[in-house]
Order: sequence, then C-alpha cells, then structure tokens
Amino acid sequence: MPKKYHIHTKTAPLNLDYVFKFRIERGENCINCGRCTKVCLYEAHKRGKGDPRKMADPNTVVCRNCFRCIQECPRGALEKSLDRDFLNIGGSYWKPDMFITLWKQAEDGKVPVTGAGYRGPFTGLGFDSMWTDMSEIVRPTRDGIHGREYISTSVELGRKLNHLSFGENGQLLSKIHDTVDVPVPIIFDIPEDNLSPNVKVALVRAAAELNTCIVLPAADITADIEKYIKHIIPFMSHEDIDKHHGLIRQARIAAFEFTDALLGDFSAVKDKVRKVSRALTMIRVPATKSLESTVAKLAAGGAEIIHIVADYRGMEMNGAANADRRLLKDIIRAVHRRLVEDCIRDEVTIIASGGIAMAEHVPKAMICGADLTAVDLALLIAIGARLYEEPEKILVFPDGLEKVPVRTVKQRIVNLMGAWHSQLLEVMGAMGIREARRLRGETGRAIFFDEIDQDTFGKLFNIRETKSL
Amino acid sequence: MKPSTVRIKKTPSRFKHQVPKYKVNRSAECISCGTCAKSCPYGVHERVEGRNRMSVPIDYKCIGFDCQNNDFCCIAKCPRKALSLSLNPMYETLGDYRWTADIITATWIMAETGYPPERKDLEYQVGNSGGGFDKLRLNFPTGRSKIDKFEISTEIPLNRRNDGRPNVVISTPMYGGGMSFGSVSLATMISKARNATLWNTFTCTGEGGYPDMLIPYNHHVITQVATGLFGVREETIQQVRIVEFKYAQGAKPGLGGHLLGDKNTESVARMREAVKGTSLFSPFPFHSVYSIEDHKKHIDWIKEMNPQALVSVKVSTPNDVDMVAVGSYYAGAHIIHIDGGYGGTGAAPDIAKKNIAMPIEYAIMKVHNFLKDEGVRDSMTLIASGGIRTAHDLAKAICLGADGAVVGTAELVSLECVRCGNCESGRGCARGIASTDSELSDLFEEEWATQRLTNMYHAWNVQLVEILQKFGMKSVRELVGRADLLTHIDYRKESGVCS
Repeated sequence: MPKKYHIHTKTAPLNLDYVFKFRIERGENCINCGRCTKVCLYEAHKRGKGDPRKMADPNTVVCRNCFRCIQECPRGALEKSLDRDFLNIGGSYWKPDMFITLWKQAEDGKVPVTGAGYRGPFTGLGFDSMWTDMSEIVRPTRDGIHGREYISTSVELGRKLNHLSFGENGQLLSKIHDTVDVPVPIIFDIPEDNLSPNVKVALVRAAAELNTCIVLPAADITADIEKYIKHIIPFMSHEDIDKHHGLIRQARIAAFEFTDALLGDFSAVKDKVRKVSRALTMIRVPATKSLESTVAKLAAGGAEIIHIVADYRGMEMNGAANADRRLLKDIIRAVHRRLVEDCIRDEVTIIASGGIAMAEHVPKAMICGADLTAVDLALLIAIGARLYEEPEKILVFPDGLEKVPVRTVKQRIVNLMGAWHSQLLEVMGAMGIREARRLRGETGRAIFFDEIDQDTFGKLFNIRETKSL
Repeated sequence: MKPSTVRIKKTPSRFKHQVPKYKVNRSAECISCGTCAKSCPYGVHERVEGRNRMSVPIDYKCIGFDCQNNDFCCIAKCPRKALSLSLNPMYETLGDYRWTADIITATWIMAETGYPPERKDLEYQVGNSGGGFDKLRLNFPTGRSKIDKFEISTEIPLNRRNDGRPNVVISTPMYGGGMSFGSVSLATMISKARNATLWNTFTCTGEGGYPDMLIPYNHHVITQVATGLFGVREETIQQVRIVEFKYAQGAKPGLGGHLLGDKNTESVARMREAVKGTSLFSPFPFHSVYSIEDHKKHIDWIKEMNPQALVSVKVSTPNDVDMVAVGSYYAGAHIIHIDGGYGGTGAAPDIAKKNIAMPIEYAIMKVHNFLKDEGVRDSMTLIASGGIRTAHDLAKAICLGADGAVVGTAELVSLECVRCGNCESGRGCARGIASTDSELSDLFEEEWATQRLTNMYHAWNVQLVEILQKFGMKSVRELVGRADLLTHIDYRKESGVCS
C-alpha cells in the first residue's frame, strides 16, 4: 500500500474579528446586574475593565446565537440583529456564511462539524441542485475518514491511452504517455494581480507542500520562487515559448493561453515544447457557449490537458445576460458528454475552475465529468480576504496582511486544503468510492434535483410551471 | 387509548423573555401618561408605580400589526402618537430556511398550550426552504365534513408481518427520534420516555447505551444497535419491545455517529465503555454487514435474543433506498425507517448535511411505490424522518406513502431549542437540552419538559385529526399513500386547476 497522503494542518489564527454575524446591543435600561455574564457560555458579556460596576460593550464576535442573554436579561435590555456589514459581504454566489466557514477551516484545518440538521434552501443553482449518493447495505461500502481503509485522492494529468497494443511476441507496442500525478484533485489557479509578495510566495510554497501545482504567468515567476518550479505551471502565450525556454525546461507542465491558432495546429506547439523538455502541455480555455466543440477539437488535435475556466461565480463567460449563461455544473457535463461521444474522453485531462468555493464543489465537479478542479478565490479568502460581488467584483484584503509571516499565510492555505481533502474523503467514503479517479463522470452516483423532482412530483402532477426556485 | 385523553397543561417558557417578532417603538413625544399600559391587554406596556417614566415596551408580548384592528391598540390610543410598530430585527437571527422563526415560535406556543397558535401572523404550516414539503399543499375538498372528530383514530400498528410477534400499536403516528445519552442530557431522554409512555408511543435511546433511569419506561423505549455498538448489551436488547438497527443517519449518510471529545464526559464514557474525553466516531458501515444476507443474519440475531421484539431498520436515503427497503423486508424487519438527508443531528459534518443523499420527500414515494410493486407494502411499516417539522409535514409524509414519522428536532424545539447548532462540542447546548455538563444539564425539570413534549404531541394530534376530518377520513391509515390529495405549487395537473 502506498504511503498515506497526509496534509499537516496546524492552528493558524489571523485577527479577523472585524467581521461578525450577530450584533448585540445593550440598551440604556441595562441595570448592570451581570446576569448576562453568568448565562453566556461564550464570554460575550463581561464587566467593564475600567469600571467593573458597569457592563462592557458585548463582544459579539464570539456570539453563537443561543439567545440565553436575550431571554434571561431581567430588563429585556439586550437587542440582537444580523450585522449589516456581514450581510453585505459576498453576494448571490459567495454567500456571507461561506466566508465564516472558509475562515474557520483556514484557521484550524478541520472538517466543519456542527449540531442540528441542514438549515439552507432545499435546492439551488448549479452544484446546489445535486446531491451525492451514498452506499448502504446493497452496495459495497467503505469506512471513511475515521476508518482504516485507504482512500486515494490522487489523480493524473495528461493523456491516457484508450487501449494497449501488443506485438506478436507479446511485447508492448503502445507508447505510454507521460503523466503528472497530484495527490489531491485540486490545483491552484492564477491568483489575482497585485498580491503582496508574502502572499504570492505563500501560495507557491503551499502548492509545493501539498505536492500539487500552481498556475502562474511566466512573467511573474521571479527568481525567489523559481526553485519551486516543479510545482509551478508557467502560463504563457504559445508565441512566447522561445522566451521561456528556461522555465519550460524545468517545469512538469506548461500552460498556454487559448487562441484560434491552437485549434488549427496544436501539434506544432507541442513540438516546440518537446524540443526543450518533456513538460506536458495545458491549454487554458475560457468557458463560452461553444466550449464543448472547442474542447473536442483541441482533444482531437492532441491536447493533453484542457483547463476550462468559468467566471468567479462559476458562470459561462459570454457577456450575455445572466439568464442564459450556463453554470459550471452544466458546462462540465456538456464537455464531458461531448468527449465521451467522440470516444476521446480518456485521452485528455479536464480541469474545471471558476466558482470552486466549497469543499463539496470538488467531488461534484468531478462527478459531473472533470478530472480535477482549480481553485483561486477560496485560497485568498483563506487568508482573510473579503469579496464583494456588487456593484462589481471587489476583493478586500485584511489590513496589515503584507506583514504577516509567510509561514502563517502558507499554513492557512494548507489548512483550508487539508479541511477540503478530509471532506472529500468523507464524501468518497459515503459513496463507497476508493479512488478519486473513479469519481469522474459518475453521474449515476449523484442525484440531480431536476431529474428526481420530475421523477417524483412530475409524474404525480404532470406539468412543471416553475423551472427553478 | 384515545389520544384525546392525554392531559395537557399550560407550561410556559422557562425564560423570562421570549424572542419578539415585533418591535414597539416609543418616541420622545411620549409624556408617560400611561394610557397604553391601561389599554393593552397583553401587558406590553408597564407603568410601574412610583416611577415617573414608562418602562421600555416588552416586545415579545405584542401580537403585531393585526392588533391595529382592535379598539384597544396602543398606537391609536396614544394621545401623542408616540408609539409605532415594526418588525424586530432580532427575529431575523432566529431560525433558518427550514426551521423558520415562525415555525420555531409556533412550536413553542404548541409546547406551552397544547394547541396550534391562535395568532394568525405565524406561518407554521410550511417553511421557507423552497422545495419538498414547503412546496406541497394539502388539497382539501370543499364543503362540510360529515365526520365527527371523536370518531377519528390516529393509531397505527407497527407489526404487519403476522409472524406471531406482538401487535404493537401506537396511538399517534409518530415517535421520538434516537438521541443518545451524551448527545442529549439524561433529563431530555427521560422526559422523552415519559412523554412516549403517556402517548402510548415510543422514544429511542440512540447509540449511547441504556441508562438505568429509563428502565421504568422500557415498554416505550426502542433501543438502537448502531455501527459503534456503544452500550449494546444482551439485557438491553431483551428488555424492550422494539430494537432498531441504525445503518445510517440522514444528517450524515455514509458516516458513523459523531460524539466529539468535549461531550464524552465521565458518565457518558462509562455508559459507552470508552475513554473520557476522546472523540467517538462510530465506523461506517457495520463491518459485519455487506449484503442483504448479512443483514438478515443481524436481524435473526436480535430475534433470537428477544423472541418478542419487533425489529426496525433505520437507513438513510441513497438512490437505491427502495432496494434496501425491500431487502429489509426479506431479511425479516418489521419497520423500515428512512431518514432523509435534511435530518437532525447532534454533530455532523456540514458537508454531509447538505450534500449527501436525497431529501426524505423523494425517498418516501420511492420506497412506498417499490414495496407496493413487490407486493409487500402491507407487510411493512414505513416510517419517515429527517425534516418532519410540523403536523402538516407529517400529514404530507403520510400522503406520500409513509405510515408514520419519527420526530427529533421538533421535540427539542418544544424544550426551547433555538437551533443555534452549537450542540456538537464544548460544554454542549447552552440551553441545557443537548449537554451532559453538570451545570447545563440541570437547567430544567423533567416534569416541565415532559409536559412541554406532551403538549406539542397534543397540538400535532389536534392538527392531524383536523386534517383527517377535512378529508372525511376516520383513520390516519386511510391517508397513507394518498399523494392525489396533494398539490405542488410548481406543478399543475393536466386536467383541472389547483392552488
């Protein structure tokens, strides 16, 4: 059995206390009796430091919404509300609660476990409109994260053969293609511009520690990070190959911007790379309306790895009104189905990115047909960034982030990925799947809202009037 | 026993204040004349003797905007127009999509009074999740019902196999969910058992052993054999009428039970024969069961040990839950208990609660229809759980094909759970329901808790009887599988128009 892949998580707090969900205010009719101090388990209420006769302002960051202080205050002097600044974070896709859970995972690296049942909407858009299946009695089952069985989360990048050919004497005739293994089905996508140097270095070092890769524009690969080149995928225009011979020679994968030229003659690009190194090639294709035919053509033309990139909310990038833009779930399914129909699915690796925001998006994207995923914004949220969707996408970093030591920043990213890896194991364990590679395209082991709702209520009530929520 | 003979008693909240829906605002115009205090019959306004100013309004007592139709409404009575009414921002911090603030408030009222709320401003029949039960409606016939309420029976039999084992009958088609000692306090467990006894139904020990204090209620306790086998002993199997195998739980399908270290206190560890302070993760699955044949061996083992017991099989809801149900029939189970993906828990990974396995609404129909097609539906009792929050959910689940339901969260909400979700770690529940912390588990008396549960069961039974009456049915058994009585607000029937 191979050595178990393990992500070393370690508590790495950052001072993010400026964002909290519940606001508690003490009314003027407070009689400073201190009852709230006694009943609060979380120490939200304390007496004043300077003047212990008076109660201090509530420390609402620690509030867990138990209502004890509210209900037991003899004067009814405490008021609670949802903090407006908190509600303004994110938007329709990146919901405020996601930030809290991502921050927590980045801090402790643990699977978020809470009491009480699910509290969210019945179903939603994109990945929220599907459930993963589980195994029970009549299917092989697996012990998950706490069990003794080894569940492999590693995936390969590169071409795989459809079949092997043998000569008359039984010798292998097929040439086995090179592949790159990553132990988690997640790579880091190109980070935002203008990151402070410590954050950039931390991202690269985290990718190296996790033994995965980060895509970086070739021009940004400065001397201080070049030593991590085995874990960096330099990204460039195919016209610039000659400029970056040094990088391509050392890298395991080189990424190219998609242009129509690549559609026509990808082999020329591959040849140019091969002259310098054995690096695999990856083409970064924006997810547009015609994505599946582009991908099919590229795959037929010999592409090894295709990275499909949706926008930061997991939507198709075609500039049209939101209504007819497909979501990542459907984009991946369409691409996967097309490649299966063309009988070339195994010959190309599909990476999906854009809006991979929660751990569950990784197995769901794979079930829909991706070989692996790429994350971007979630990594920055791990280090305390806040994102606002409206009126336009804005990313706000915590004050003083540039002074936080690289190892703390790196640890938070590692922690987040550690928590995601554990959650992936939970989902795979529940499904009874022992190899992440087997998740790919396993739509039979998922439950899709549209299908099951139609199967259940559609049969009963016939005509569906509302398409979705 | 007729459910209507259960004694209800007004049992108010154990806290001084409740969570207000409205906010009564008093402006600086107030001259503290006290007119409002005299006119409001609900006690929102107080003019304490000897003080020269009005007290701050007690918001939670206010009945809201509907009051403006009353002559005595403070807003109209105030000579200075100093009073106004708005929604209280605090109300937004209570509840969530599934358990809305209105459902929680209404459940509290039911637990206090034994009846559904008289207030008209609470939407407690459906939640806000935008799917499943929340989009289904009961489609009542028009005209007066000819059925007398007192003729209506809500009892259901649990053994339909005709296999010589006792014909256990429960008086109301629901029983208490499995909650282990450790996940909840002893007082919670005992109150649930006492209520189950009063209602001639059941409660379940969950996977955490069988505290001796439950022995007087043996006749109404289901003991669970779950994957960790915590606290399972020969005598616990032999002293009950129903034994339940817990294969999986809706909130964490495919994962074993979780009891985090903080909650594994001394008494809990003793009961589970475990080491205090360690996190206890039950395995998944039963490593002795990898097929229906193994499953049968399991059931035979219990049947051998207790020749009088019925066997219930609790599973969650994968795509092939229908196969599991039929398999359980052939393995010899009496009850198939399916726990949907949105079910309750004392501790589960968030990723599992939201993403793994299907919601109960789909699973009920799937299992019901498959058992019917196999010709064994009449020999099995189908119990649904995992998101049955209200009496209306219960009725809808029965229409979809269940015989009855298991309720867990609704019981805890009756004991004033606010669903804050902090029961998994630390000292546990801040409200003393789901905690074995010596101080916290002492926050209420069993007497109070039992009566609150009894009241809530009564309120549900009243509503169920009303629903049956409107449908012109004399027994809840007539409602089983009557999906034709439902409408879904997203769909329309081909012929005829509805809601």
